[in-house]
Amino acid sequence: MNTSLEAPRPSLLRKAALLVLLAALGGAFGFGFATLTDGFVTRWEDDLAVFMAAAMIGIGVVSAFVVATRPSEVPKGCGILQVIVMLLAGVMFLLPIFGTAWATPDVVFGAIAVLLAAQSVANLMLWRAADEMLRRVMLETSALAFWAVQLGLFVYAAAERLGLIGTITGWGLTGMLMGIYFIASIVASARRGIT
Amino acid sequence: MNNRLKVLRAERDWSQAELADQLGVSRQTVNALETGRYDPSLPLAFKIARVFGQPIEAIFTED
Repeated sequence: MNTSLEAPRPSLLRKAALLVLLAALGGAFGFGFATLTDGFVTRWEDDLAVFMAAAMIGIGVVSAFVVATRPSEVPKGCGILQVIVMLLAGVMFLLPIFGTAWATPDVVFGAIAVLLAAQSVANLMLWRAADEMLRRVMLETSALAFWAVQLGLFVYAAAERLGLIGTITGWGLTGMLMGIYFIASIVASARRGIT
Repeated sequence: MNNRLKVLRAERDWSQAELADQLGVSRQTVNALETGRYDPSLPLAFKIARVFGQPIEAIFTED
């Protein structure tokens, strides 16, 4: 069997360069968010949302780099749509926290609604453009996330109804939902060898 | 399910990306098929058989 026909593996130098790039991005995000949130973010829900937003924007930026350096024609448009979905999700998680520094709450909410509509269209286009394995990964991610979320939600709701724990805000629950979805996505992708 | 995708591709001197182009799927999908991480749908299995000019049962076998 001729293994030399496989896609060329990235060289050690290229891997090292990618690591340096990722470290630089992580450092930049860490510094940026530490500066941004200094004295601004005081609730754990906001901390979680900022963390999720940083993760999504970070992955979006790295994906954009991969799309730019290793473009793939098939399935057409999937790479760029994934980047758009990730970046929009990250921005939408930041707007409720930081948006009111520049605009009134109703304007910020309007902006979120517009971005959400755009992201929904991008998600739909991604589904239509994806090949069958990517669709399978999306379905498995959704199933895994739903199972985990409904399990966690029931346990939390029961404990909250019994007065054993305090109430978590909808914003906090949304951040947790996104975290669970993220983990489910990593698990579903890794099972198919997508890293 | 086992398959002979990697061998058949190597015999034709195709890269994973070239096979992916012919099948209309991503290179990651071809890689997942070859490493047994993903079993194709029937339509994709028929397409693979067509591309290699062999019957499905000559490419895919049960564990």
